[in-house]
Amino acid sequence: MTTKPHLQSLIFEVTQRCTHACLHCYNVWQGEPPGERYPRGELDTAGTLRLLAKALDESDCHHVTLTGGEPLLRADLPLLLDFLRERRVRVTIISNGRLLEEDRAVSLIEAGVGLFELPLLSHRREMHDRLSAAPGAWDAVLAAMANVRLHHGQVVAAFVATRLNIADLYETIRLAYAFGARAVMFNRFNPGGRGRLHLAELLPSVEQVREALTVAERASVEFGLPISCSIPIQPCLIDTKQFPHLGFGYCAAGTERAYYTLDPLGNVRPCNHSTTILGNLFEGPFGDLVSTERMDDFVRAYPEVCRTCEVGATCQGGCKAAAQVCHGSLEEMEPFLREGRGR
Amino acid sequence: MPIHRRNFMKLLGVSVASLYLARCRSPFVTTSCYLVVLSPTPGPPLTNSPAHQRLRLYWLRFDELAQKSRTDAETSFREELVSGHRLALDELVASLEVAAPVADLVQEAYEAAVFHVWRSNIPATCYDMSFNYSFSSADVLVKQTTVLNQIAETGTVDPATLEKAQAALEHDMAFYALTDEELQVLYDKLGEQGRYPSFEDVSLELTPEAQAATQFIVDLLTAK
Repeated sequence: MTTKPHLQSLIFEVTQRCTHACLHCYNVWQGEPPGERYPRGELDTAGTLRLLAKALDESDCHHVTLTGGEPLLRADLPLLLDFLRERRVRVTIISNGRLLEEDRAVSLIEAGVGLFELPLLSHRREMHDRLSAAPGAWDAVLAAMANVRLHHGQVVAAFVATRLNIADLYETIRLAYAFGARAVMFNRFNPGGRGRLHLAELLPSVEQVREALTVAERASVEFGLPISCSIPIQPCLIDTKQFPHLGFGYCAAGTERAYYTLDPLGNVRPCNHSTTILGNLFEGPFGDLVSTERMDDFVRAYPEVCRTCEVGATCQGGCKAAAQVCHGSLEEMEPFLREGRGR
Repeated sequence: MPIHRRNFMKLLGVSVASLYLARCRSPFVTTSCYLVVLSPTPGPPLTNSPAHQRLRLYWLRFDELAQKSRTDAETSFREELVSGHRLALDELVASLEVAAPVADLVQEAYEAAVFHVWRSNIPATCYDMSFNYSFSSADVLVKQTTVLNQIAETGTVDPATLEKAQAALEHDMAFYALTDEELQVLYDKLGEQGRYPSFEDVSLELTPEAQAATQFIVDLLTAK
C-alpha cells in the first residue's frame, strides 16, 4: 500500500496564461531551449477539481499555493477556492496583482485566501514595469496591496533581486512596509524559463547580493519586518551568519518541506523551478510519483565541487533546478555559484 | 464538513503546542516587560508512574524543538521526541494504564504537535513565509503612517491608491481608540453574526477512544 506523503505545501499552477511577461520569469513553459517543449494547456473545471481532490486525498497536505501564470485569470478560481475551503486547506495566492481590484480582493479574502504574495520589484515605477514587461504593473500592484490591506487580508512582498534593481532594495522594502506588507521575500534572481534568456542582463554579482543582504538586515531591524531569502545563498560565497535577522533556506526537494508542483494538466514536478516531470497524477498515486526511487536522482545530485564541502549535502550547491535549466544537468554548478567561483 | 476523529486529534495536538509556546504553561513561568503571564493555579503533585511523568516531559519540550529547528531544519531531535514519546506510551500500554487504541491517538496528537512546531520554526523557504498574523501594534501603525506620508509627498504614487492605503491605516488605528465597552459590542456583534459557533454547533465525529485520548492529554498536562 502506498503511504500518503506528508507535505508542508503543494504548489498548484492553475494556469500557464499570464498578463505580464517578466524578464526574470522562471515558469518552465517559457523560454525553452530549441527542441524542448513543456506540455501546454489546462484542465476544465471538473477536471481540475478531480485533480485537486486526488492530490489532497493521496497526501497529507493542509496548505496549497495557487500560482501560474497568473492564477486570477482562471474564471473558475472561486470554485477552486470553495473546494479548498471545504477541504480545510489553507490557501496562498501568488499573483502579479494586475487583476486584484478591490471587489476581487474582498471576494478572495472572504473565500479564505490567507496570504497574497505580490511582487514589488522597485520603488520606481519605470523599473518595476520594465522588469515586468508590462506598463502599469507598478501602479496595479500597489493598488492591489492597498486593496488587500483595506479589507484585512495579508500581503507578503516579493523582491526579485536582479542586476538592474538590486540597488533599489532599501526604498522598496520601505514602500512595502508603508503599504502594510507583513513580510518581504528577498529572492535573488534564479534563472529559469524566460529568465534564462536574460541571464547576463539580470544575474547579480556576489558582491551585489552581499551588499543587498546588508541593506536587508538593516531594514529588517528598522521596520521590524521578517525578511526571508527564499532562493538558496551558498555559504561558500556569502557568510549568511552575518545576517541574523534574515531567514535563509536550502533546497528541500525530497523532504517534507518540499514544494512539489502540480501543473494545470496534472503533471507533478519536484518544485516549480524544475522541468523534471515525475509523472501525471491521473496515472498513479501521489505517493508513487514522489517516491524515493523517483526522486532519488534529483535529491542526490549536486555539483562535484561541493562534495568536499562540509555543508555540501545541506546547501547542495544552491538551486539545482537552475543548473538543470541553464546548463543541462542537475550536477552542474548553477549560474550564481558559477558567477561566484569565477567560472 | 464534520471534523473527523483523526483531524480532531491533530488539531488538539497543534492547539496544545501553540498554547504552550504562547506561554500558557506551568509551572515554569517567566515574565518580561512585554509579556504578562498569569500565575497558574498549582496542580496536584506528580504521583504517577515514571513512564507517565516521562511522557509529560515530552509535551514540555516544544521550546527546545523550536530552538533547534531554527538553526537546523533537518534536526534529528524531532524524531527523538516522537520515538521517545511512543516508547513511554508503550510502557503505559504494557502496564495497562492506557488502552492501545487510545495510546495511538495520543501519539497522533503528539506527532502533529511536533510537526507543527518544527514547521513553524525552520528556516523559511520559497512559499511558506512565516510572520506574525496578530494585529499590528499601535507603534507600527504610527510608523507606517509616517513612512506612507513621506512617500505621498514625493507624488509618485497614484492618489486613489494612497487614499486606500491611508484609509486602511486609519481603520486599523481606530481599533485602538475603542473603549472596552465598544470592543465588547463589536465582539457581541460578531457573535450574533455566527462567526464563532458554539461548541454544540460543531459537528465532531468523536469515538469513545478519541474522547479518552483527549481526556488523557488534558490530565497529563494538568498533572492529574
